[in-house]
Amino acid sequence: MSVTFDKVFDARGMNCPMPLVNARKEIGKLDTGQVLKVMATDRGSVADFQGWAKVAKNVELVAQETENADGTSIYVHYVKRTA
Amino acid sequence: MGQLTTQVAWTSGDLLRQMQRRQNLFVLDVRNRDESERFPLEGPGLTAINVPYFEMLESGGKDDMIDSLVASIDRDLRRELPEDSPILAVCAKGNTSEFVMQALTRLGYNAGTLQGGMKAWGDYYDTQAIVDAGSLSFFQISRPARGCLSYIIASDLEAIVVDPLRHIHPYLDLARSRGLKISAVIDTHSHADHISGGRALAAATDAAYHLHPYDAIHPMDMLPATFLYEPLRDHQIFKVGQHELRVLHLPGHTLGLIGLILDDQYVLTGDSIFIRSIARPDLGGKAEAWAPLHTHSLRKLLELPGSMTVLPGHFSTLEEGDSSGQFQATLSDLKQKNESLAILQRESDAGFIEYLLGSLPKFMPQYVEIKRVNTGLAAPAEDDAATLELGKNVCGLAQSAALGDSR
Repeated sequence: MSVTFDKVFDARGMNCPMPLVNARKEIGKLDTGQVLKVMATDRGSVADFQGWAKVAKNVELVAQETENADGTSIYVHYVKRTA
Repeated sequence: MGQLTTQVAWTSGDLLRQMQRRQNLFVLDVRNRDESERFPLEGPGLTAINVPYFEMLESGGKDDMIDSLVASIDRDLRRELPEDSPILAVCAKGNTSEFVMQALTRLGYNAGTLQGGMKAWGDYYDTQAIVDAGSLSFFQISRPARGCLSYIIASDLEAIVVDPLRHIHPYLDLARSRGLKISAVIDTHSHADHISGGRALAAATDAAYHLHPYDAIHPMDMLPATFLYEPLRDHQIFKVGQHELRVLHLPGHTLGLIGLILDDQYVLTGDSIFIRSIARPDLGGKAEAWAPLHTHSLRKLLELPGSMTVLPGHFSTLEEGDSSGQFQATLSDLKQKNESLAILQRESDAGFIEYLLGSLPKFMPQYVEIKRVNTGLAAPAEDDAATLELGKNVCGLAQSAALGDSR
């Protein structure tokens, strides 16, 4: 999958709720229309980002994918600031 | 300093004891809605609400996480939260709930957090001694969150384990602490709702793994087991120290289901008779063909002496346990109180089969894959195994209240 993004936030090794809590802050620093790529190792982040994107204002979950890095699953979330 | 009257960090064992004592507890479940629906925290005395933590963060709208949680709870949840009883914050793994507990505490609530979250609760095992006197030590080992029951029967430092669940440490720990040698591992049937620990435990202890040959074939794939096992047969006898276990073939829930009679006093019924329910006949995908067998097997069980104690393979709710947390009842008691057995006693075979086929709960699609795992046709990694097993078992027939009929 090729999703264009403007900034990367590395949340690998972080436990819930930190990937989402910190990504939320990072998105606040983006310009409208920009996309943040969030990389997490917490599997729970997949459903949490989906649920969060539904209630968060000015945020769109563009795509999610799972990358495999040496046997470790990396859960990637592309989040766009919409306003 | 005075005695602490409230707990802040709750273990899964604390939670289980609270429920066994039927004490009131308010649960604030902050997982996402899907997870909370698929694997709800429920039990005696519990009142639970689900408010995902990210919804609180958005509602609170502050820069700091705890400030956000405090603002959100203060504004949105004041009316729902009890002021006089403890509130247990619960999340997936026990990290987020700790922050929620801090926010609740800051607002003056009597708050706690479930350590390790629902992951720890889902993997928690409880060991109860059914008998531990004289030459017999007989334990019921449950996984309360899933409603699965397993057993260790020990005598003269020898032990037989029946229906061990996926995590085998409770059996190994108990055997080690008591100096027991596990001589046999028996699965009463090929389980559909959970991954058996039978083969793993047998391998870890050099014991033989016993299974009825009819259950060594996946009923849908029609593929044979990929592992070696000792075939169980009807009336076979296992000696354990000074005691005796007799195999009783009870086809119906599966074709190879067996019960085990211990010393003519106890009957381990596997997935046939439960405390409040009975097993469903459709998990092999052959409900019409298997329902008559199931009916016949249940009638066979009802012919056993009424004084025999039934020890089932599952429970549906923790309410079925007694106040000490054990799941057992005499057969004569169940003949009166178990709704399905009451119907069995008054109906003809045809009438009972009609009742069975009209009381089937939703078929769980993952049960087909779990049976593949238990037949050795698939071997999921830990995360996938945990996902397959998520939530409570649905091995029992639906109760009439749940079906909404007036039978």
